[in-house]
Amino acid sequence: MKWLSDDKLNHLRSVVSDPDFSATKYTFVKELGRGGMGVVCLAEDRELDRLVAIKVLNTPEDFGDRMIREAQIIARLEHPGIVPIHDVGKLPDGRIFYAMKYVRGNRLDEYAAQGASLRDRLRKFQAVCDAVAFAHAHGVIHRDLKPQNIMIGSFGEVLVLDWGVAKIRDDPRSSAFHQTMEGTVIGTQRYMSPEQARGEIDQLDERSDIYALGAVLYFLLNDLKVSKAAQAISAKATATTKESRYTTASELSADIGRLLDAEPVSAYRENAFERTSRWVGKNRFLVLLVLAYLLMRIFLIFTSRS
Amino acid sequence: MEPDTDIGGPLHRFPDTNHSAIINARSDDSSVRRRAFDTILASYWKPAYKYIRLKWHADNEDAKDLTQGFFASAFEKNYFATYDARKASFQTFLRTCLDGFVANERKAGQRLKRGGDMDHYQLDFAAAEHELAAHASSTLSPEDYFHREWVRWMFTLAVDAFRQRCEETGRVIHFQLFERYDLSDDEVSYASLADDFGLDTTTVNNYLAAARRDFRRIVLEKLREITATDEEFRTEARSLLGVGHP
Amino acid sequence: MSKPLIGVILGAVLGAIDGLTAWFTPAVRNELFGIVIGSTIKGIIAGIAIGFFARKFHSLPIGILFGVIVGAILAWLVAFMQGGYYFEIILPGTLVGLIVGFATQKYGTPATAN
Repeated sequence: MKWLSDDKLNHLRSVVSDPDFSATKYTFVKELGRGGMGVVCLAEDRELDRLVAIKVLNTPEDFGDRMIREAQIIARLEHPGIVPIHDVGKLPDGRIFYAMKYVRGNRLDEYAAQGASLRDRLRKFQAVCDAVAFAHAHGVIHRDLKPQNIMIGSFGEVLVLDWGVAKIRDDPRSSAFHQTMEGTVIGTQRYMSPEQARGEIDQLDERSDIYALGAVLYFLLNDLKVSKAAQAISAKATATTKESRYTTASELSADIGRLLDAEPVSAYRENAFERTSRWVGKNRFLVLLVLAYLLMRIFLIFTSRS
Repeated sequence: MEPDTDIGGPLHRFPDTNHSAIINARSDDSSVRRRAFDTILASYWKPAYKYIRLKWHADNEDAKDLTQGFFASAFEKNYFATYDARKASFQTFLRTCLDGFVANERKAGQRLKRGGDMDHYQLDFAAAEHELAAHASSTLSPEDYFHREWVRWMFTLAVDAFRQRCEETGRVIHFQLFERYDLSDDEVSYASLADDFGLDTTTVNNYLAAARRDFRRIVLEKLREITATDEEFRTEARSLLGVGHP
Repeated sequence: MSKPLIGVILGAVLGAIDGLTAWFTPAVRNELFGIVIGSTIKGIIAGIAIGFFARKFHSLPIGILFGVIVGAILAWLVAFMQGGYYFEIILPGTLVGLIVGFATQKYGTPATAN
């Protein structure tokens, strides 16, 4: 048997793992990335004449039908912050694929690395919370939230991607895939809640996503000088016990909104000095005007005396 | 979307778990155990030999004896029955057993008797030695080297199995196109293949796509034979296909 | 709190402060009470006008400009009635108008549409 060189071996590995789109309406354009769950490619939808992102999963066929069903549920999440799934099916070789909107833009980590301001980061983060809250309201838990799964489009729109390990809460049919994964760790280490890191699949709920959101917030704030209130929000979201975290993503979003409006946040109790500083910070132009008025008054008093 | 039919059965079905040689290695039926052992031996003897040469610095004769001795012992003493998929992959388990065996043999200091139950296996150690000599340099650790060589050997076996299957089912042209396009070092285009084989480029494209699908299935069939559980299979598949492992 | 109310409160407070600083001018110290009352009323009138303007027109620069104009006019009238101290009355009066104009544009509940 002929020796396979390293180059040839790598080529064969990609031949085997590259998706085969023949007998579909898609034409492979290029690979966008690879992960533990599968490969994401850019493809052309020949019928609609548009580019789409296609994720091809590396799962055995006996989980395929269940994953298609879950994809259908996720596809019903019509929200501007959730990347829409256009299509789902099986490739000729049996692998499951999703076709999604192709988002041109930057991942959240790239966006932050470009020097986005604190306010801009917080606004984007709030949009992520709103999208996740919407999913939660429809019984869907993401389970793999991280900056790499959040896109900032070219018009500043925020989209949460990669719902491939999402769980449908309280669905008894929600796959044996999840049940047999008990003890297996799903998600990305750095953004994983403690219960997720322990592989307690059945213990995961919305608050596991909130932990991940808190970790994303921490990531966004990490290289900036931020207030204690901002740190407190991140700390509350990433509390070790679920009960100590925000109950909903909407609560977290609301606190971020209050932080942006220089209002007191629920995660942090201010002292009198901090409260005053915050009020002055929020109304500094008015405070400056009044100070200017008082200074002018003092000036006039001294000039009239002389 | 319905998959088209293919050689060797329905495209979209993987072999059932009982096609796993690891599971069958624990069978009470000695013929089943023997066949399982043959599968494991076929998949691992070459990476094991190279690993012993590299990690244990054994010369080619000693490495050959140790390789044969290990697998003979593994069969006689049924090492593989103690494998627990929850603790590690089978690959890791086998490599650990191999290390233990070589260490014990070195301690005992006796030259292993050649042959025994292994005489009828035609293991091409000369080819393995030639490959080692020609492609020896590697910056990988012995463990990663073992894994790399195992991947290489799995794909080599899959290519051979694919060729045989194409010959058996009258699809030689599929294999020839696959060989020219994906195995050869020459740069070829669909157009040149079409000219050489007297086909149009669309047919070349379709045949190659079918060949690659079939090849993929064979690779994963081979992997399924030497994994014990679905989870191990998924993990090893990702590793074999190049996600997250050297 | 509505914009006119913000205007009234701020105008009254600043008007009263304005009037109280007359204590530092010995020549008019005897008339301090009247000055404070007058100044406070001036501030309230300015606050009402500027507050209602802010309710109608939502533009920070125009609101500030209107406040400045109203403050200056009312201050000039007071100075004219006093027969002097034009600079000492008009300058702070104009600044009060500016502050009330800014505050009524920035804060307060806008009028709801019917």
